[in-house]
Amino acid sequence: MSKKPKGGRRGQALTALLFLLPLLVFYGIYYLYSFVFLVKVSQQRVSLTFINAVDVGLENFRLVLTDPIFQTALLNTFLLAGVAILAGLSFGFVISVMLATGVRFRQTLYAIFLIPSLIPLSLFATVFGQMLETQDGMFNRMLRAIGLDALQQDWLTGSGSAYVAVAILLVYLVGLPIMYYTSDIPAANLDLVEAALLDGANAWQILRLMLFPLLRTTHITVILSVLLGSFRAFDVIYFSTGGAPGGRTNIVGVYIYNSTLGNDRVGYAAAAAVLVLVVALGVSAVQMFLMRKGSDRV
Amino acid sequence: MFPFKTRVAAFGVAAAAALSLAACGDSGGVGGATAASQSPVDSAAPVTLKYWTWFPAEASLKKVIDAYQKAHPNVTIQLTEHEAADYQKQLPLALNGGEALDIVGVQVSAMTNTVNTQLRPVSEWEQYLPKDWRNQLEAKPLEQAQKISKDGVLYDIPMGSIGSAAMYYNPAILAKAGVEVPQTVADLAAAAKKIKASDASIQPVVFAGDAWWQEEMLFTIAGQTHPTLSDDILKGGGAWNDPAMVDALAAYKELFTSGAVDKATLSLMSPRPTEVFTSGKAAFYLDGSWQNSLLSKTYREANKINLADVGAMGLPVIRSGGTQAMRAFAEGGLAIPKSSKNVAAAADFISYMTIGDGVALWAPDLVLSPSKKGFAPGADVLSSDAAQKGFATIAGLINNAGSNRDSNQDFLNNVEGNAILDVLNGKKTPQEAADEMQKQWTSGRYPH
Repeated sequence: MSKKPKGGRRGQALTALLFLLPLLVFYGIYYLYSFVFLVKVSQQRVSLTFINAVDVGLENFRLVLTDPIFQTALLNTFLLAGVAILAGLSFGFVISVMLATGVRFRQTLYAIFLIPSLIPLSLFATVFGQMLETQDGMFNRMLRAIGLDALQQDWLTGSGSAYVAVAILLVYLVGLPIMYYTSDIPAANLDLVEAALLDGANAWQILRLMLFPLLRTTHITVILSVLLGSFRAFDVIYFSTGGAPGGRTNIVGVYIYNSTLGNDRVGYAAAAAVLVLVVALGVSAVQMFLMRKGSDRV
Repeated sequence: MFPFKTRVAAFGVAAAAALSLAACGDSGGVGGATAASQSPVDSAAPVTLKYWTWFPAEASLKKVIDAYQKAHPNVTIQLTEHEAADYQKQLPLALNGGEALDIVGVQVSAMTNTVNTQLRPVSEWEQYLPKDWRNQLEAKPLEQAQKISKDGVLYDIPMGSIGSAAMYYNPAILAKAGVEVPQTVADLAAAAKKIKASDASIQPVVFAGDAWWQEEMLFTIAGQTHPTLSDDILKGGGAWNDPAMVDALAAYKELFTSGAVDKATLSLMSPRPTEVFTSGKAAFYLDGSWQNSLLSKTYREANKINLADVGAMGLPVIRSGGTQAMRAFAEGGLAIPKSSKNVAAAADFISYMTIGDGVALWAPDLVLSPSKKGFAPGADVLSSDAAQKGFATIAGLINNAGSNRDSNQDFLNNVEGNAILDVLNGKKTPQEAADEMQKQWTSGRYPH
């Protein structure tokens, strides 16, 4: 029987606390304080100087919640997250499996798919925004070059075409899901795949009936990380469509940014930020619940 | 731009820093200012002035600073130049956090009321300016800078004025297509047709499709028939669904339906229209008078803009009986924060920049129409007939502006710009867009 360490569990806990203390202080200052301050400001009418604040109670929250522009932005956030998730679960999954089969130039292909997710999104979105220009944009020039002039669009003037443009942009950003899948595929129980191959299963069956269910926990990670990431996709929209047409592709990040620019509007912007934070925390709670449930089953 | 969460955190941290500093007694922030009485700048004591601004271009500012430092060897000026949009947030946060700055640039219309509590009124430091300083400046920009402040106090001295929308043109393209400078929208439509026939790769008219620019276009058009409409709505309690506004929206749409402007321009986001025009691919280009630099041959050569000549004019008249118009406002305000302990030296530099020899060093950029009375750029700057006439036309429109170039920025970004674009894209009628703007304007979301 091994000898118990001196001090027992209590001592270990104290040691752990000492090690954690600097980090806890850091989080306390940078996150907790920020959140409390944000909640306080959200109940004021105040400018960026934070001077001469007027207490307005929950009025800012009422105004934000009843603003159809905020409602559209919130809906868009989830809608565009849905597109990104779909792209991750389909293109991301299939590409990862293909890369895992040992295809030639695997590293190069991996880098190509990953690069759009690694370079600054503002730069990527700005270039993409220029590709959408009606006269000289790359999309329309490409369509003209291959004789499909009739398919040319004023990408940013129609709601449908603008959503399609943003969806294309999000598909390009499929690198993160590929990274998740690539790291998890080797850990999956590939003996089952081998057995299926011996039983004569074709590639599509293996992909759909074997690998897809085997990577269930990875799917959950992809879904929730992309969903949470969509709340931070300010730069993707701001620098590509700029919310066009008529603000219809705006997301909550752009809404909050615009709200900070007016006179005495910092409290209003803070109220919108608090609401979005609450929604994001709800999504995180669902993520933790599903992850725990998933790991219990494995 | 930073991701949203980062910005929220930064926002909180900056605020935390601000509160901590405010608690440290006389930080030089609110209530901590030292008296404005200082020793004169000509004393030999070394002085370092911290100068924050976003304007004018760094190269021009350095020219002025170098000349000033040469004349005042005891003064060192530490310049920090910011990007315009970021500056609107960074300056209030920095001043509130007790940052010891001596001279700050103030975007007169957009920033005065967000920073004035941290600035010294001009009356506190005018003792360090020449006695007749007011007489050396145009009265209108000073009056505008004072009136925009909610407490009616003058906090900064504007370097000059800007107006919009101005229309720049490429004389070479016009000559090739055989068109004259258009005066009406019908002329412009005819010119666009000829230009397109002459060279299909040229875009006849370009301007930005950004939401914020739509307000500039709308009020320029409205100003042709109702010069004070912008002031009436933004400051005078007028309604966005006033019949004059509905008509302005309809007139703006006619700019497109008449064939004068192609809707493709709405897909160009700033600064793409500038790039298209300066690369010789557009005949006419609408922007603010801050693009007057394009009229200068020196500027074009220095910036490798391969255009032989550029002219300027007002937006052609759309409604019969109207006249070319522009909204204009004081810009480039220079102020002294309460936190400054070098008031006399700061005031002397502001004097040099606004009424002194410094004007001749930064003004040839032509970005601002200087507040200094009687200033005119030389023939070395405006070397062609089109440039000289264009500069005079724009200056005339600025000096006779019917309304202030003002804006309620959050309303503009969230509501107004998009409502105007909806009219242009055929998603709303002018009346529907005007009603929507009025509904949001009075919703309580946009303090005004």
